[in-house]
Amino acid sequence: MVTSLSGDLRYGGYVTRRGYDLWKQEINKQGGIEVGGEKYNVQLVYADAKSQPSTGADAASKMISNEKVDAVLGPYSSNVTLSVAPIMDKNEMPHITGSAESPDVWKKQFKYTFGTIPTVSVTADKVAETLLKLKPNAESVYVTGVNEPFSKSTAEAMKTGAKKAGVNVLGYDLYPRNTDYTNVVSKAKSKSPDFHMHGGHISSHVKLMKAAKQLDYNPNGFFMHYGVNTSSYKDGLKADAKDTFGATLWLPQVKRSGGVLFGTPQKYTDAAKAAYNSAPDYTQAASTAAGIVYQEALKKLGSKPPLSKDDRKKLIDILENLKVQTFYGTVDFETSGDRYHDNLGTEPLAIQLQDNLDPKIVGPKDVAEAEADYPVPAWNAR
Amino acid sequence: MSELFTQTLINGLLLGGIYVTVGVGFSLVFGVLEVVDFAVGEWVMLGAFAGAVLTAALGTDGLYLVPVVFVLFFVVGFFVQPFLHHVTTGDRPMPLLMGLVFTFGIATFARGAVLTIFGPNTRSITSGATSGAITLSGIGVFPTIRVITAAFGVLSLLVFMYYLYRTKGGMAIRAIAEDRTNARLMGINIRRYQSIAYGAYAGLTATAGIFIGLIYTASPGMGLQYTAFAFFMVVLAGLGYLPGVILSGIVLGVVQSFVAVYVSSQWVFFSLFALIYVVLLVSPAGLLGKGEAAT
Repeated sequence: MVTSLSGDLRYGGYVTRRGYDLWKQEINKQGGIEVGGEKYNVQLVYADAKSQPSTGADAASKMISNEKVDAVLGPYSSNVTLSVAPIMDKNEMPHITGSAESPDVWKKQFKYTFGTIPTVSVTADKVAETLLKLKPNAESVYVTGVNEPFSKSTAEAMKTGAKKAGVNVLGYDLYPRNTDYTNVVSKAKSKSPDFHMHGGHISSHVKLMKAAKQLDYNPNGFFMHYGVNTSSYKDGLKADAKDTFGATLWLPQVKRSGGVLFGTPQKYTDAAKAAYNSAPDYTQAASTAAGIVYQEALKKLGSKPPLSKDDRKKLIDILENLKVQTFYGTVDFETSGDRYHDNLGTEPLAIQLQDNLDPKIVGPKDVAEAEADYPVPAWNAR
Repeated sequence: MSELFTQTLINGLLLGGIYVTVGVGFSLVFGVLEVVDFAVGEWVMLGAFAGAVLTAALGTDGLYLVPVVFVLFFVVGFFVQPFLHHVTTGDRPMPLLMGLVFTFGIATFARGAVLTIFGPNTRSITSGATSGAITLSGIGVFPTIRVITAAFGVLSLLVFMYYLYRTKGGMAIRAIAEDRTNARLMGINIRRYQSIAYGAYAGLTATAGIFIGLIYTASPGMGLQYTAFAFFMVVLAGLGYLPGVILSGIVLGVVQSFVAVYVSSQWVFFSLFALIYVVLLVSPAGLLGKGEAAT
């Protein structure tokens, strides 16, 4: 396993590690992975990417040559994944990541790299479409984003989702990371959109909402994509975080059929809480799912460890054709095009922070657990 | 004139007010201690974090913490200055560079310490003042907290100027800035007055952090942008020319706002850098020509 255990990304790095460790813990509790009638315990070797793409690539190379691993669980963040993936292709080493979300990872079509998180360009697009169908139907939207690869892809996908929903896009602006959001808000407010959508990281979400409150900007809803269900977003805004719409791929309460290893999302949550004393997020869940996918592929392969080069090639073919039902959702990898080896099976969820800032699933309809509070109250009525 | 135009102007002026709060102290230490403090943004960050932690612990309104944080960081700055003095005097070569390296170390240490102790999360400082606004129909909205911040920036500048130009202590600090050796020969306790100046700078800049935390948020990585803006401020104001800070804050805020709204937000930093370079080339003593380069 290569992930960031130090540096700026270490928080996210440890989320992926918890996900991978939990998979190892659970499968070993059941005696290990059954291959050809015998069970083998999973052993994880850790390599620290130190939050740097180049260090991640070095760490991955060293791990492959020194530790003789059979397969790799991938790093935290798309940037580090993009530097690790070519090393995997060079060494013909299967690699599944539970965190990469940028569409750039899949456009490069790395043969040996797979990911359990659907790219942000699809999730933002679908959730935007879902939200714009809330009653009363929005007729216009204003889209903003931070001018960085991930955030820009998110904002572009929001724009695409709005167009698909037949909604008028009144403005589309990208801003530098440390902009003063009164300008962003003033420009958007002058157009009076029904919905405001923003692609960015958590601190930009918080700054945008603070400026919206300061300037009394009141569209019917704010959609901030990932991050609204984090303590960082909630700590940053306190009560003002309420009613924000966001996107996620998984929540403990989502109705999904479960499947291999952890029977239901709730059982997974209980196991995670018992192990780490905190509720898991979608990245941790997707990381555990990456392990589950390996275990199912290895069962099908039927070769005893250590795997030969031929075995590893066969494992790639198996992964391409595998469809696994997990507590996280269905994992089903794409085999061509711009989303090559990205997971197509897991549906994104539209969520809203409601009472006590608890995230409630408000769409799509078949999995919604609560009605959306929409239109959200004006700032002075909250 | 459209409301968007006037609102953009208001945004720019009030944003300038935020920059003034950071620029005043930085200009002071540059002018009187001749220290280029690379840690300026981290004093902002530390002040914002102190505000966030104290409001959460005490349950008080963030604005009440302004005097507490000022005193707290005045004391910290007062005791940091002797170390800074030590590395920038004696037989060390290039004292300016030594000061820069020393404060760079403080900045790195402060950022790392906050990240380790408090984690990477964004935090807020709560206050009743963050929700109010003055709305002038057809003109725009003046968020209360930004108005208070701008007023604080201007007021603190006036207080500093009063201290520097109307009191004995201020005269001593100006004498040290003019000529350290002669000041010492006149019986001025150099270390004490330098510590007062650095303490006042640290206290004021950390207090600016509370206001910035109220307007935006507190996060461990927030400091660097304010370090950059503090440098912009003193270049435009004229090195060491304290009153120029108000004009440079307003220019930076207004240019930033108008470029973001009427040109493209992607050109904001290009425009600001272009402005700095033009000022450096055409008027190296700042916008008003009263900085140190003029003498």
